This record gives sequence, structure tokens and C-alpha cells, in this order.
Amino acid sequence: MRPAPVPPDEKERLSALRRYDLLDTLPEQVYDDLTELAAYVCRVPIALVSLVDSDRVWFKSRLGLCEAEVDRTYAFCAHTVFNGDLLVIPNTTLNRQFADNPMVTGGLAVRFYAGTPLVSHDGYPLGTLCVIDSRPRKLNRKQTEMLRAIGRQVMSQIELRLHINDHQRIERLKSEFVSVVSHELRTPLTSIRGSLGLIEGGVLGEVPSPMCRLVEVARSNTDRLIRLINDILDLEKIEAGKLDLHPRPLDPEDLLAVAVTEIQGIADQSRVRLTWQAEPSGSAGRPRMLGDFDRLLQVLINLFSNAIKVSPPGGAVEARIEAGDCGRVRLSVHDHGPGIAAHELSRIFGKFQQIDTSDSRSRGGTGLGLSICKAIVEQHGGVIGVETEEGKGSTFWFEIPVATLPE
Amino acid sequence: MSVRKILLVDDEADIRLVAEISLSNLGGWQVIQAASGPEAVALAAREKPDLVLLDVMMPGMDGPATLEKLREAEDGRATPVIFMTAKVQKAEIDRLLGLGVRGLIPKPFDPMTLPDEIRRILGT
Repeated sequence: MRPAPVPPDEKERLSALRRYDLLDTLPEQVYDDLTELAAYVCRVPIALVSLVDSDRVWFKSRLGLCEAEVDRTYAFCAHTVFNGDLLVIPNTTLNRQFADNPMVTGGLAVRFYAGTPLVSHDGYPLGTLCVIDSRPRKLNRKQTEMLRAIGRQVMSQIELRLHINDHQRIERLKSEFVSVVSHELRTPLTSIRGSLGLIEGGVLGEVPSPMCRLVEVARSNTDRLIRLINDILDLEKIEAGKLDLHPRPLDPEDLLAVAVTEIQGIADQSRVRLTWQAEPSGSAGRPRMLGDFDRLLQVLINLFSNAIKVSPPGGAVEARIEAGDCGRVRLSVHDHGPGIAAHELSRIFGKFQQIDTSDSRSRGGTGLGLSICKAIVEQHGGVIGVETEEGKGSTFWFEIPVATLPE
Repeated sequence: MSVRKILLVDDEADIRLVAEISLSNLGGWQVIQAASGPEAVALAAREKPDLVLLDVMMPGMDGPATLEKLREAEDGRATPVIFMTAKVQKAEIDRLLGLGVRGLIPKPFDPMTLPDEIRRILGT
């Protein structure tokens, strides 16, 4: 018996194998499906996805075999990898190279082997898709073709892994970048915001009023920049799935009451009246929704704040609680503002989108509020939307699934 | 608890300047400053401040490490400490509050309301 020679570019081949992070991972359905298919097509009891490591051959999928790995010295697959092409041995006992192999003479009693190499996009054979039987057999032309085809499918699954790993790495980098940049921006902003605040507050002496106006402009724009950084951080966290939600059964009326209290000051400043009503509940009482109180409050306050911004002075903003679709609870905020043009509707939940108005009150926003609302609502398994009529006003609403009480 | 002397620790001189004006002019407190953790530990031992305002992110010895050294040096007296931080993620805030400080002031802070914020945290 002669072990397979080591390929001349073995070092590069091994590092190509390692970049897929596939060795010693758990079984996966997609590979098991493909070995099942290979075994069925070739009418054999054993089919394997093997990876040829430095001194062992490890099986990502093994149908009909108990061993998780075998010594590379005896492995048929090492020969397939060295040849870089399909290897078929119809009867191992008649093959001088394999007749005394422990896999043939031992308990496994391999008589038939056919393996097709798994070749990476840059030309390295990483392992094989192989089929094995304990009695001699032949593959017809169709079966050989199918074995090669399934082998290519295995390889494309492996390549996909590389893309997914890449994607995750980029996402991680992006999120680290956002967090570092946010911190680095916040530090100088602390000095700027602080200095302006002290000057504007007259702490070091009275500021002449024309100058004070400019200081106020600088201070309020610094505040806006700070809000923007906070919103970007928030959105990044939600989109990266790093938002820790603490869902518990909530009474929507509690949520609405707290939101109204918090937003009342801003409404008063803008001379906007806030009213709210709850649809009469059934005999069982109002269903509770399952949500994170603080995050849903953030959504509601955001919708209120938008509604107040677009309301004419003396206008009214009305909130409602009612039954939504699919057993969800719906909260809505209705304004009597200018409404939203049809061509703007599709993008209002996108990032950095603000409806263009001449009203200066809208300038304080960051253009991220509704994207954040949408992300929060969707993480709750809910839906968010808007109905609007130009010249009459808009109703922004969201629906959250109800909490099912344990029996 | 009456506060007269505050030790302000931040590696950014500009932020120290803004905070100092706020704390002394608006708060009426005496303010001493340190630009690093080791400086803060030495100054605290000598000056025995009534309160430490401690930045979290500092090169070398950071806020939590400085807090630990302060506690080691004062054998049980436990001067009240308030963290100041530009990292405002909830998990980070929870971690910092778990280290045995009186509270946390997020950056950027508003110097016009900083003394009130401190009084609120201390409950005075």
C-alpha cells in the first residue's frame, strides 16, 4: 500500500481549505441532502463529503459511515485530491495500489470507490464528494456525470460560505466604524456645545443681542448634529440586530398616556391640541400587546413629534387605539397638516428622507426618525404604515402583536 | 451630604475648561482638575474632594481603572463618584453603573444644567 503523494502546492492548498472555516463544524442539512442524493444516484450505501486536512480526512457529511474522520495515509480521497480528477475503483481487491489498504482488508471492507474532487474557485482541490460500497460495482456514464454535478453543487455551497463570512465581517467592521466615529465626534462636540451653552447662558457676562442670535444658531445646530449622531448609532444598532428588546405584556393606554405626557410641552409650544381615544374594548378587556415599553414609547413620541411639526398653529393631533389586522393592536396618530404627496409616500420610511416643507419646525429632525420607528416596529413582529390625503392630513399607524396569556 | 470641592478628571483640556466654568460659576463649587487617572488618584489622596467627576474613556488608566485605584487608596471612605461618558449604549451604561458609582452623565452634557444634574444624582 502506498499513501497518496502530497500535492506540490500543499501549503497553499491547506490555507485555501482553512479560509472556509469548515473543518470540525456541525453537520448541515444542505450537505447531507447532497450525499443522500449521490448515494441514491450511484445506488451505494455510503456517500461522503470529505475534506483533506494536513494529516486526516474529515467528513462534513457522512451517509452510512460512523467515523467522523480517517487517517490521511489510508484515505482514498487523498488520491482523488492529488489527481485532481474523478477517481473510480470498481474493485479494490483487484487494484494493486489499494488491495492491501486497511480500509479494504479491515472491517470497513471497501470494495468500490468513486470520488470527484471539490475544486475551489482558485483551483485547489479541498476534498471530495465520494461514494463507497462493500461490493464491487461500476458506474454508468450518466451516474458519473451526476456524481460530478453533485460534487460541483457541494463546492458551490462551500463557496457560498466564503461570501457569507465576508458579508458578516464587513457588517462587523461597519458597526465598529460607526461606533468609533460616533464616539470621536461626540468628544469635540462636548467642548463646542459646552462653550456655546455657557456663552449663550451669559455665564461669563451679557452677550450683545445680535451676537446672541448667532450663538444660538451655532448652539442649536450643534444640538442637531448630536441628535443625528445618536440617531445613526441607534439605527445601526437596530439594523445590526443588537437591539436588546425586553418585551412584556403592555396596556396600550399606558403607553399612550406616557407618550402624551412627554410630548405635551412641545405641543403647547406649537399651540397644538393633543387628544386621544381608545376604541371600546370587549368584555374580556383590552388585549395587551407584547412589546418593549421604552422602544414603543420612542416610536409613539416620534410619530407625535412629526404630527405636531406639520400641524398648523391651533390645530389638533388625535391618537387612537383600536383593533388591528391579524389580532394585532393598532395605535395611530392623526394630524391635520398638509398631507404627503403620492410620489413622496414610498420613501418616507427610508433613511435621511425629509418631506420638504417651508415650515422651520421640521428642520430640527435628522431624517432618520421614521426609519428607526420602522425598524423597531418590525423587530416586534409588527407593521407600520401611513394613510394620507393631500391638503387634509396624515395618519401614521403601527400594529403590534398581542401578548397571548399563558393558560 | 454637602459638596464643596469637586475633582474633575478628563483627558480633554477643553472639556475640563467648560465643565469647570459651569461647576464653579453656576454650581458655586471649588474645582480641582486632573488630566489622567494616576494624576486623579494622587490629587484625591492629597485634596480629599467631596465628589469626583470621572471621564470613562481616557488613554492608559481609564475611568473604571481609576475608580478602582481611588477606592483602594481611601480605605472605606468611598468618595462619591459620577462617571461622564460619550458611550451611551444601554449595555455600556448598565455595566458602568454596576461599578459602584452614584450616577452617570452622558456627553455631550449641557453646562447650563450640569450643576442641577449633579445635585439631582446626589439627591441634594
